[in-house]
Amino acid sequence: MRTGIYDKHCVLGAKIVEFAGWDMPVYYRGIIHEHRVVRQKVGIFDVSHMGRIHVKGPDTERFLDYLSTNTIAKKKDFTATYTVWCLESGGSLDDLIVYRISQTEFFVVVNASNRKKDLEHLHRLSNRYEVIIKERYQDGIIAIQGPQAKSLVGQVFDVVDELKPMCFLPVAYHGEEIFLSGTGYTGAGGVEIYASMPAIVDLWDRMLAVGEKYGIEPIGLGARDTLRLEMGYALYGHELNEDIAPTESVSAWTVKWNKENFLGMSALKELQHSPKKRAEYGIVLQGKGIAREGYKVYKEGRQIGKVTSGTMSPSLHKAIAIILVEGKLQEGDNLEVQIRHRSCPAKVVQLPFYSFKPNA
Amino acid sequence: MKYSETHEWIKVEKEAGTVGVTDYAQAELGDIVYVELPQVGQEVKAGEEAAVLESTKAAADVYSPVSGKIVAVNDSLDDAPELINTSSERDGWIFKIALSHAEELEKLLDGEQYQSSIK
Repeated sequence: MRTGIYDKHCVLGAKIVEFAGWDMPVYYRGIIHEHRVVRQKVGIFDVSHMGRIHVKGPDTERFLDYLSTNTIAKKKDFTATYTVWCLESGGSLDDLIVYRISQTEFFVVVNASNRKKDLEHLHRLSNRYEVIIKERYQDGIIAIQGPQAKSLVGQVFDVVDELKPMCFLPVAYHGEEIFLSGTGYTGAGGVEIYASMPAIVDLWDRMLAVGEKYGIEPIGLGARDTLRLEMGYALYGHELNEDIAPTESVSAWTVKWNKENFLGMSALKELQHSPKKRAEYGIVLQGKGIAREGYKVYKEGRQIGKVTSGTMSPSLHKAIAIILVEGKLQEGDNLEVQIRHRSCPAKVVQLPFYSFKPNA
Repeated sequence: MKYSETHEWIKVEKEAGTVGVTDYAQAELGDIVYVELPQVGQEVKAGEEAAVLESTKAAADVYSPVSGKIVAVNDSLDDAPELINTSSERDGWIFKIALSHAEELEKLLDGEQYQSSIK
C-alpha cells in the first residue's frame, strides 16, 4: 500500500522499503543526516500508514477507559493520552494514543501493523457499550518535528501558539476539520497533523515550502527509529508484542493500578508477583560493535534475556540498545551482549539515552 | 577490477588483491557506522565471510571473492567507517589478501557483467 504522498517521496529521491505492507521512505539523504536535522532544525515525516479510528457515543469514555492500561476517564477535552491495549492474557495488543474531543467523542491512532487487529478488537469488545466505531483509514497524517517545528507550523496555523504537549486542537482548513496535536515520537518536540489525504498532501507541500527558511527536510522511517530509540520509546513488534506485558516493558508507566478495572488488569496483577516477570532496560555498549534485535544478553556468564532494539546513536555516537530480561537490574550493572562470535561488554543506563539540552 | 555477485570488488596487483564493497552495496546499506575487520593472517576461502559492515539499520556480511591469507586491513575504517559510503571503491577498501588460487578470478564478473547484474 502507498500513502497519497508516495510519488513525492520518489521525486525527492527516497529509498523506499516495505513496512507493514506499506511502501515507505526509509531515508532520502541518509539516516544519520536526517536524524540530526530533526534534533537541530526541523523535519517532516509522512506517517499516513498509521491508522486513525473515531469512536463516539454515550459510552465512549467508559469503553476506551476499559480497553486502556492508562487513565482515559475524566481527562480534559482536547488532551492526548499514550497507552497500551492489552489482551485478556495481559500481553500487549498495541500501543497507541487516545485523543479526547469530548466525553462522547474520541479518536485513536494505532500502529500501521495493527490496523486490522485493533479495529477488530474494538468491534468485538463494543458489544456491551453504546458506541459507533468509524475507521478513517484513507486519511493522512504528517509529523513536523524539531526545535523549529512549532515556529514553522505557526506560519501556517497561528493557533499553534496555544498548542501544548499532549494536547490537540481542531482547525478549519480548506472546508474540512483537521486536527493539530502537540505529539510526536522523536522527543524533539513538534506537531502532528491529521486530515483527509488530499489536505495532507497539500500540507506536505506547504510545510516543505514554508519550511525552507527553517532548513526543513523530509525524514524517513530509518531516522524515525533512531530518534525514538534515543528516547527509549517502545516500537510495537520489538519492545511490545502479544507475548510481552506492558508491565514488562519501557511503557510500564502507562499501567495505572488505581483504575477500577481494565482489560488484562487481573493477568497483570498476577504477573507482578511472578518470578517469571521480565523487565526492559536501556544499555550502552562499552566495546566496539552494535547490538541488534535478537542478540543474547548475559550477566556474569548466564543468559538473562535479549536485545529488543539497537543502533548506533547519531546524537551520542555510542551503540545503544533496549533489552528484555528476567529479573531486576540496576543502573550501572555490567552485562555482556553476544555479537556474532564475540562478547561485548555493556552497561545498564537510565532512559532516555538522550536528553535535550537547550543550550547544547 | 573484478566483481562478485555479492557486491564485493577486487583489484589485483601481482598476487595480492585489495577488496571492498561496490558503490551499489554502500548505497543499499546506508550510513555505515561500524566495520568489523578481519585479522591480519586470517585464512579465508572464496565466498566465506571476511568482514561485517554495520549500518544504522542492519549488519551485512562482506564475503571474500577469493581464497587466501589476509595481509592487511584498512584501519582508517575504525575511526571513519563512513569512508565506505564516501569512497567505496578507493579509500573505503576493507582488506588486502594474498591469493592462494589465482584461477578463482576467472569465475568473478567483469565491470560490464556486474553492471548488468544490478539493473
